[in-house]
Amino acid sequence: MSKTLTILKNEIVTLLSRPSFWLTTLGLPLVAGLVFGVIGGLNRNQAASQTFSQVFLGPQETRPEGYVDQSGLIREIPPSVPSGAFIAYPDEASARRALEAGEIAAYYVVPADYIQRGEIRYIRPDFNPLAGDSAQSDLFTWVVQVNLAGGDWHLVNLIQGPQEVDEISLAPAPAADADNPMTMWVPYTVTLLYYILIIGAATLLMNSVSKEKENRIMEILLTSASPRQLLTGKIIGLGVVGLLQTILWGGTTYVLLNLSGRTFNLPSEIRLPPDFLAWGLVFFLLGYAVYASLMAGLGALAPNLREASQVTFVILLPLIVPLFFSNTVFAEDPHGALATGLSLFPLSAPVAMMARLSVGGVVWWQPPLAALLLAATAVLIVRAVAGMFRAQALLSGQPVKVKTYLRALMGKM
Amino acid sequence: MTKLLRVALHEYKRHVFTKRFLLGMLSIPLLGLAMVGLAFLLLSMENDTTPLGYVDQSGLLADPLPGPEPEKPYKPVPLLPFETETEARAALEAGQIQGYYVIPADYETAGRLTAVYTDKISRPARWQFYDFLAVNLLRRFDPAVVNRLLEGSEVVILSPDGSRVAAENTILNFILPMLIGIAFIIAMFTTGGYLMQAVTEEKENRTMEVIVTSVSPGQFMAGKILGDIAIGLTQIVTWVLFGVLIVVFGRASLEFLRSVQIAPQTLWLILLVVLPSFVTIAALTAAIGASVTEAREGQQVLGILVMPVWIPYMLMFTLMTNPNSPLAVTLSLLPFTAPLTILIRDGMTILPAWQIALSAAVQVAAAAGSLWLAGRIFRLGMLRYGKRLKLREVFGKGY
Repeated sequence: MSKTLTILKNEIVTLLSRPSFWLTTLGLPLVAGLVFGVIGGLNRNQAASQTFSQVFLGPQETRPEGYVDQSGLIREIPPSVPSGAFIAYPDEASARRALEAGEIAAYYVVPADYIQRGEIRYIRPDFNPLAGDSAQSDLFTWVVQVNLAGGDWHLVNLIQGPQEVDEISLAPAPAADADNPMTMWVPYTVTLLYYILIIGAATLLMNSVSKEKENRIMEILLTSASPRQLLTGKIIGLGVVGLLQTILWGGTTYVLLNLSGRTFNLPSEIRLPPDFLAWGLVFFLLGYAVYASLMAGLGALAPNLREASQVTFVILLPLIVPLFFSNTVFAEDPHGALATGLSLFPLSAPVAMMARLSVGGVVWWQPPLAALLLAATAVLIVRAVAGMFRAQALLSGQPVKVKTYLRALMGKM
Repeated sequence: MTKLLRVALHEYKRHVFTKRFLLGMLSIPLLGLAMVGLAFLLLSMENDTTPLGYVDQSGLLADPLPGPEPEKPYKPVPLLPFETETEARAALEAGQIQGYYVIPADYETAGRLTAVYTDKISRPARWQFYDFLAVNLLRRFDPAVVNRLLEGSEVVILSPDGSRVAAENTILNFILPMLIGIAFIIAMFTTGGYLMQAVTEEKENRTMEVIVTSVSPGQFMAGKILGDIAIGLTQIVTWVLFGVLIVVFGRASLEFLRSVQIAPQTLWLILLVVLPSFVTIAALTAAIGASVTEAREGQQVLGILVMPVWIPYMLMFTLMTNPNSPLAVTLSLLPFTAPLTILIRDGMTILPAWQIALSAAVQVAAAAGSLWLAGRIFRLGMLRYGKRLKLREVFGKGY
């Protein structure tokens, strides 16, 4: 036992004495805090936000635009349109002259066959293909539609759908508002964070094992400690440090989101639920146990880090899959079949369940069930990897393939 | 010269003819196809054809005209009228409908609806219902006008000289330069990784000592960089071939593929801006590989190098919607950020000639500078073990 403790202590001390560790641990929350601070500051400070948007978006003044109506449809410009926003020209040549003289920023041509084909030409000197969806061209198409409907602008607005929908949900939990950009960003951030945390901790473990194997320290260590003591000491040691990181990062996310709730006026259902932190710890610990032992086993088999890298991808695949879905499935349908399945399947659960929990409204029995399944998997995998952690494997210089790795995991070596 | 080519050829062969390289190269287009498949899967999952109910208190839908058919791949959802809200609610609780709308008596003036559901009403069903409402709101108009009002307008954007046209079905042409830019960056860094690995490995296992007995450091480095760029171009050409195959075979069934074309200006940009940047990155990677003592240390330094190159990717939306902002112009001139930024802007606006010329000049200068720097670092660092190269040594005289 005391040998395990010595190994554990050594791992923690080596890791904590590395500047790069502190850089990522403190740097990430710092950068996140800075970004939030800057955005919050910009929201309050008018002058600063204006310079900011000048640099990022360019000049934002709306200059008048011209139009040439060949269809004879446009009889009046609705009074709600600012006067002088659209100037009529009798033909394209005069519009082009005005454009060249700089009187207008761009011009539209409504062809004679507009009703049949629906095409409006928009001549812009800067040719931005996305300008067809800009506020000003939207306003112009709206003007054309209003004229088409005989000036009834109220009716034209209703064609796009109702102006307001009172939503009454009979479901017990409030659903997040799909129109708020934060609905997408919160699960995405949480998924990414969990992915980085678990993979980071697991990779640290693999590096530490394979480095010691590569520079032959392993040979000396094995003369005085058993492989199993080595494995336990390393897993627990690095786990403690990873936990520290999780608490720090999770805490920052929690505080920032709740602070930003005030800055950005977020609706309450987007803020993280309080039991989120508790489940966060559980899923980190279990997810870490599974992935760290898988990676440690790889470190034990592979002769050096480079050899290990092709197997890592296969191991980490189940964690990457939820990341793919994070801004579609988890944001839009967090309790559908696919999301629920991913969050219950043990290998993807640590990331997927956290993403769902961050959205809120998970049925009460699902997190404990996922945790239970994950715990059972963790026990199985730790046992299998302990079998791989034998002097024979640790001392060999055999190259490693996905096949050999899987065979070793099954205990067929 | 022959020695240089020999080094380049060796570098090319040992990386390209491995299983790992081929798998990595093919995985990108396959991943792309998988993503497209996934998108279709997600779209079809939205196809909830459970009926949708409505309770009409306004009389608007008393004798309703049918709404337009939903566009493919969406399937039509049956719309069921209910007399009262209690009936609709009972049907909802029995699971016969996915939800229902209540249209109040003053809908035509107030424009307010009430939606009742347990799980959110699916988006296609919502659209179909709104179209159905719109058709009935417009019943007093001429059918051609109704059709135009429902479908809206298509804004076709033209440049003043008429040489460039942007309509909905040519949208691929504007993001194509950007996709090429991303492919180049991916190729730059995967091959950069190979290059650095090769250099550090040869340094670690002392092969370098043997090589420099017969090749000059300059030739050795230039050969490696040349080989590296050839590997990158191999990847790009393979991906482009995949793209061409998709366009050729997809043309028949997918309309938006028909108008795909690459403007000659894009090719010039690749030659003048992107390729020099490729040389810059490759030279710096080789320099890093020669100056560090361990492969892992090199990876960290490379990580710092990667960041500015991806900045335009992170700012993609801002750059696409505002391609002429001061930020976009600056980024398209600076080394590292230029290749992707200028390709994004190429699709989205008309690049002034002076910006292309200036950017190309900066990139060529940066490439020349980094080749010089790499040559110096290489000479100083390649036979040094256990001690890192200091900046003072690189720029100081007398070394």
